Amino acid sequence: MVEDKEQVANGEQVSKKGAKKLAKAAKKAEQKAENASTAAANNAGGDSAEDHAAGRYGLSEMIQSKDKRSERNFVPVSELSGQVGKGLVWVRGRVHTSRAKGKQCFLILRQQSSTVQCILAVGDVISKQMVKFAGNIPKESIIDIQAKPVAVSSKIESCTEQSLELSVEQIFVISQAKAQLPLQIEDASRPENADDAEGLNIRVNQDTRLDNRVLDLRTPANQAIFRLEAGVCRLFRDILTEQGFTEIHTPKIISAASEGGANVFTVSYFKDSAYLAQSPQLYKQMAIAADFDKVYTVGAVFRAEDSNTHRHLTEFVGLDLEMAFKYHYHEVLHTIGNTFTSIFKGLRDKYAKEIESVGQQYKVDAFKFLEPPLILQFADGVAMLREAGVETGDEEDLSTPNEKLLGRLVKAKYDTDFYILDKFPLAIRPFYTMPDPNNPVYSNSYDMFMRGEEILSGAQRIHDPEYLIERAKHHGIDTSKIAAYIESFRYGCPPHAGGGIGMERVVMLYLGLDNIRKTSMFPRDPKRLTP
Amino acid sequence: MYELKTLLPQFDIKLPTCMYPLKNVSLAADSLASGSSTSASTSASTSSCKLEANRIDRTGRNAATCALDLDSLGRQIQRLLKDDTASVAARQEKVLKQLEELKAQLGQIRAGLGVCGKTFQHTTAFQNGGLKEVPLQDVVINGHPNFIPYALLALKNAWRNLYTIDVKTFTHSTMADIGPAAREFEANLAKVPVNPALPKISVTLIWKNCEHTEMISSPTMYVPIYGEVNIIRYLGRVGPAEYRYEGSPLCNEIDLVLDICYQLLRCNTHKTQVAMVRLLDKRLQKQQYFGGSQMSVADVGVYSSLIRMPAVTEKDLTPALVAWRKRAKLVVQI
Repeated sequence: MVEDKEQVANGEQVSKKGAKKLAKAAKKAEQKAENASTAAANNAGGDSAEDHAAGRYGLSEMIQSKDKRSERNFVPVSELSGQVGKGLVWVRGRVHTSRAKGKQCFLILRQQSSTVQCILAVGDVISKQMVKFAGNIPKESIIDIQAKPVAVSSKIESCTEQSLELSVEQIFVISQAKAQLPLQIEDASRPENADDAEGLNIRVNQDTRLDNRVLDLRTPANQAIFRLEAGVCRLFRDILTEQGFTEIHTPKIISAASEGGANVFTVSYFKDSAYLAQSPQLYKQMAIAADFDKVYTVGAVFRAEDSNTHRHLTEFVGLDLEMAFKYHYHEVLHTIGNTFTSIFKGLRDKYAKEIESVGQQYKVDAFKFLEPPLILQFADGVAMLREAGVETGDEEDLSTPNEKLLGRLVKAKYDTDFYILDKFPLAIRPFYTMPDPNNPVYSNSYDMFMRGEEILSGAQRIHDPEYLIERAKHHGIDTSKIAAYIESFRYGCPPHAGGGIGMERVVMLYLGLDNIRKTSMFPRDPKRLTP
Repeated sequence: MYELKTLLPQFDIKLPTCMYPLKNVSLAADSLASGSSTSASTSASTSSCKLEANRIDRTGRNAATCALDLDSLGRQIQRLLKDDTASVAARQEKVLKQLEELKAQLGQIRAGLGVCGKTFQHTTAFQNGGLKEVPLQDVVINGHPNFIPYALLALKNAWRNLYTIDVKTFTHSTMADIGPAAREFEANLAKVPVNPALPKISVTLIWKNCEHTEMISSPTMYVPIYGEVNIIRYLGRVGPAEYRYEGSPLCNEIDLVLDICYQLLRCNTHKTQVAMVRLLDKRLQKQQYFGGSQMSVADVGVYSSLIRMPAVTEKDLTPALVAWRKRAKLVVQI
């Protein structure tokens, strides 16, 4: 104000004296310089002195479990709707996006699949420096926030918590992320349907996702997919345990390539060679011979197939079961079929939120099934294919295109994505498969299909050692290599049947995804060995 | 008159003297020996011959030579024409041969395709209205538990000694619970035994959340059939001969009764239901059954429709219909 008065006085003097223009200009320039220096001095003083929000924000020191901080009540983001109007809460999450403008800063806080909007505005509690700090936090940093949940008048469309926002009072960075991210979670989460051509169409391709799997797994769809996968395993275990099954754990390092002979990984085993098991088949059968009656196992399965397709991995998780029966292998067939139906019902009823979450990014058709499951004879399937114009022999195996076509025909007729094909021809099944006594061309074996793709291959096994040797010779298998396997039946073994399921494939086909790598957390194929 | 002078002066046109004098090639005697067959050359040669003849009249040989040349030219021309015609004819014959070969190939292809086709079991077309009796692998009926297809159970009981209907029931994933009525219906279906000695119709009944009762026999060959009444018609045509009404004099009557059943099932008010029942009574008249003196698919349709209409009580039925229902109950046993 004093300066203003001086200016006025100067003006009057000049006008009174009638000084020249040059003199005016010179004096104005001096005045401007004076003002600038004065302003700079004021600002410097203000910055250092006036930050009234110091202590409410900053980069927190590394957490080394120094103290417990039990006074802080942390609330999950998904439960914030119950906290509106109840005072201050603490929330820990990641910075999904941030947008700072003027005296305000908006953050989207993400916790797994839930997101909520946070707002910082310059006021009594929050200073300008604090707002600036919040705006500069890198994406994907982990922050602790003390805030007050407040209701909002209009819905926040871009968040999962749409009815509220967090009015921030304190903000600390617990773990700071690098400023440059190899892929943006927003881009990786974008829906694949190209409905709006005007919108952003930045895509993240599969290889980039897998190379940076730690970031890719943070998308809501991936969080949901792998929770569904855990649900499949849990339901599988619970359903079988209720039916009297016992979980066993089989070795994966074996001494000889027992089944196929090909497609086996070799491992250096001290002075000898060992192999990685293609399936736990032999150990399941030994457990049956050892009077465990009903067994299942969940574990890794290795296939050294040089197949780079959308549905092949070199290592995947196998859900295997084996069961002794009384007189007919359909006792086992119905048990497995009903297990699948129960798994599908469990997923439908308990994991609806996850299925919906995947549906936001990928197109998910509802999975349809019948109860009890549909059982078709192999001959009926072949008849359906011939009716559709496909030429295939009676004892010929189904090719992949024919499998898919048969799946479409079954879907069109019975409206089910899950069905069982029974009585496969004996010539196309492994040596330990029991032939059909009524028709020696066929065998007591079955496959199960989801959306036209095979997920389970099973059969009644030969439990008589002499007959097993005969069948092995008929298949040209060296019986000395499987002597231990044959020997396990010489001390008495009940009739039994079973099958093996690929877990990743079940989840892929249940959701209708197009690539099995989407349902494998860290896929392995002939080209990928990292991460 | 006066003599007129030309206004323009006359110029003498002088031929240029800088060029060499050129011979008239056509008049040269050398061209005679060329014997070219072109028309221009022929004309030139002829002209040359005449000139020569005129100049050397006394020499007979020259004249003879000219005549010979003309003759040879004529022969050459004729020969050329003959060659052209012959080549055209030859090409035409080649084309015709190729066409014949193509026809043979097409015939072979058709024959080959014919061999791949399915063989059908053809029965008397007249009896079942021309419907091809393909061996039925499975007939799928999609029904909602609120609209139970009682006709299926009625037919199963009515055909007990003629055909066997093997019904398997499933619950679709869109239907959480099928309710007590559907479960009782399933139990009643299971009570009727399946006789392996009789001809068999396999039926898959799927309880599903769908708007209409729907039947699919083959997704690649036939379109779905909607409505319980039309399913009765279909099963009537593929069922035992006693129930095939296409050749019967009462064919139109039976279809008319089935149409009334279709409309009865779509009535929303009790008043219109009673009106439909009255129509049925007119159709029955003095007969024992809607199909005459014997049970027919029309009776099956009416009986199952009335079961699905609990609001229509015995008070709404005429005495003739009540008596008919007692007779029909002995056959369908529901």
